[in-house]
Amino acid sequence: MGVERSAGGRILRLVHGWIWGDLDRRARKLLSFAEVETGGGRDILRAAEMTPDPLLRRLYLAHAIDELHHGDLFRERGATLLRARPQSLRSAAAPAWLPSDGHGLDDLRIEDERDESLLGFLHLSEKAAASRFSVYREIVQDDPATRAVFDEILRDEVFHMNYTYAQLARISPASHRRRLWRARISRLWKQYLRLAAAVARVLSTIVLTVQYFIVVPPFAWLAKRAERRERPGWTVLQPEGRESLTRQY
Amino acid sequence: MKILGISAHYHDSAAALVCDGVPVCAVQEERLSRRKNDAVFPIGAIEWCLDHAGIGPDDLDAVVFYERSMLKFERILISTLRTFPHSWRSFPNAMRNSLGEKVWVRGIISSYLGIPRRKILFTTHHQSHAAAAFLTAPTRRAAILTADGVGEWATLTVGHGDRRVDGGTSITLLRELRFPHSLGMLYSTFTAYLGFSVNEGEYKVMGLAAYGRPTQVDRVRKLIRRTPDGAFALNMDYFEYHSSAKRSYSSRFVELFGPPRTAYEPIDLATAEGQRFADCAASVQRVLEDTLVDITRALHQETGLPDLCFGGGVALNGVANARILAESGFERIFVPPAPGDAGCALGAALYADRVYFGQPDRNVPDHPFWGPAVVSQDLLRAATEDGQTVEELDDARLIERTAAELFADGVVGWMDGACEFGPRALGHRSILAAPHSVKMRDRLNRDIKYREEFRPFAPVTPIETADRYFELPPGGVRLGRFMSGVFRVRPEWREQLAAITHVDGTARVQVLDRDMAPRLSALLEAYGRHSGIPVLLHTSFNVAGEPIVCSALEGYSTFRRCGIDMLIAAPVVVTKRGPSKVRSLKEEALA
Repeated sequence: MGVERSAGGRILRLVHGWIWGDLDRRARKLLSFAEVETGGGRDILRAAEMTPDPLLRRLYLAHAIDELHHGDLFRERGATLLRARPQSLRSAAAPAWLPSDGHGLDDLRIEDERDESLLGFLHLSEKAAASRFSVYREIVQDDPATRAVFDEILRDEVFHMNYTYAQLARISPASHRRRLWRARISRLWKQYLRLAAAVARVLSTIVLTVQYFIVVPPFAWLAKRAERRERPGWTVLQPEGRESLTRQY
Repeated sequence: MKILGISAHYHDSAAALVCDGVPVCAVQEERLSRRKNDAVFPIGAIEWCLDHAGIGPDDLDAVVFYERSMLKFERILISTLRTFPHSWRSFPNAMRNSLGEKVWVRGIISSYLGIPRRKILFTTHHQSHAAAAFLTAPTRRAAILTADGVGEWATLTVGHGDRRVDGGTSITLLRELRFPHSLGMLYSTFTAYLGFSVNEGEYKVMGLAAYGRPTQVDRVRKLIRRTPDGAFALNMDYFEYHSSAKRSYSSRFVELFGPPRTAYEPIDLATAEGQRFADCAASVQRVLEDTLVDITRALHQETGLPDLCFGGGVALNGVANARILAESGFERIFVPPAPGDAGCALGAALYADRVYFGQPDRNVPDHPFWGPAVVSQDLLRAATEDGQTVEELDDARLIERTAAELFADGVVGWMDGACEFGPRALGHRSILAAPHSVKMRDRLNRDIKYREEFRPFAPVTPIETADRYFELPPGGVRLGRFMSGVFRVRPEWREQLAAITHVDGTARVQVLDRDMAPRLSALLEAYGRHSGIPVLLHTSFNVAGEPIVCSALEGYSTFRRCGIDMLIAAPVVVTKRGPSKVRSLKEEALA
């Protein structure tokens, strides 16, 4: 099974052409891939630790090592591109100071997944990734180093696609096609959820921002006035009664 | 009486179970979920604790959450109001985060565990820290200091604790410093400025500080001024953490200290830029230490007590702890093995037991091993199935074999009994190696831990010989019990202990009590017979970005993919086969 050039891939090529055209966006994209690959690698590592099947354990382990290596490749290349930017732009790439949430393989809970469903999911994920990466590889013709990263990763993705399919057929010979369909539906559902969450996030941001500027100002004035009265330094604490443990305030 | 403590939702969530006044088990969610600093509601940890104790949720007398979530929400809301209109970007996120889940803790606990709401109690964040530090320490009366980023409003508290002869217990917090004035946030801001992850990279700042000189102390002091009552206040013009979720330092901060480092730039200490970052780290470290020393010196004078119990994330700063011990006047400092938020789960449960329910005082076992135990048979099965070289040895042969491997410059993955509660491996989930050469340090950083070159490794040595190799002040042995202090390596041993001697001649030594980890203690003795020096390099059993391993199979998968030569979960010993060192896992899997 090789890397397919699907219709989706052709559309992606158009959409992503402008993204990859800019060096800064290219670097950020590579760094975000690094996080995804590393997170995915850790999830697959977890699968290796959970599976009762010795062959799958070895394959998952090899796969996880590949993914972690891909993370390193993307990170290294992204960092190299970032370092090539002017000093004045570098601070913009500083990481958010709050820890991020979200992780790995589509927020999959590896502990709850059986090998059949995980293999189906991995197979489709690898296939989708290979399809996207082959598009990106063509887009970055002007950047041989980045292209080389995609070349190396694509070679591994072919192995990942093949072994996940073969192992799914081995452990679930009668129903592996059905498993793949289930995995496809599950991926679609998760994509819908992601989209829905993103839309909800945008809408809630708009509503809350409007509220912030309409409702908050008088309270802000009161809060600032109260702050001015506060003395810096120690606040002496009054002893609390036993009943204080029953309240959240 | 059975009390479950829970910490969750910010970083490092955990659960701990206290039965009849004594901890039975405690584990961080990250050890089970395998997601570093996992902050989710720790249902995995709770289930494991209940299973381990053989009880169900109905058997619990109380569930104690480690902080008052509504009070915390109040602080977030008021901080947003005070920084209006600059906080407009962070406001939607803050509201979504808090109102989405975090303020509904009582309902969440009740619905997850199916217990009545009246059984759910709340300590304050710093009460939990104080209890975790004081009620687990082998002392009856002590001054208490807690310091972290922020809890509800408090960022630092001082007080004292008393375990009375009549069995009663009191923990009295006298004063607090309130957000946004926070030593923890000051340090975290520099952590972010230096390009490290907050809540994780603070160790790196401390390690980097040794390479720098505190040339920028005067600039740091522009950020933090002392108040007449002996506390401090931050100049918020230099910070944005109270108004932004994107950046913790302001443009004025950047004007003062220069451009920040991005996470992807390596720190090259040979360059002026690298040295500037090291100097920044050294300067903020110095100011942190000075401030803590002043506060603890005043606390010592006020309480007149010889012991100090120190909790909160700031207590993980071993360099500062050593200075407090040396300069504050306290004779002993007790830092629990889990002084951060995870430890609050245990602290909250103990606080409810002693203070709310008024249960009689009990001594808490003085060790950190409250987590799941390693199952050696799992390792035996997996390694055998994979065709690794596996042996089962009795204890004496296992110790001798391991000592010989270490003496031959092998690197050993060591799993023994229950895993540690807290961020440090203290002898049950450790990577061990010979401490003698810089090559070993570099090999571990490069091939095994995959981390920055400048980061030091810690040593472990028996209590009986610790003073021979390290300059331990009075009270140093106690601070070294859970690796909470950084002390100088004696100059005459530095060359022979090059792998664990930091650039400034110090080491964060673990002083091992035989009763706490008898097998590791025996290994140190055996290694001493081989090398003449009963000291081992000792680091947590994980690779960069991953939690410390918990189960045998997690240790095994780490062993298979990094340069560890030998893996031990007594009595099972796995050695990397010769060919597998050169043949890739992929080839092996397909063979």
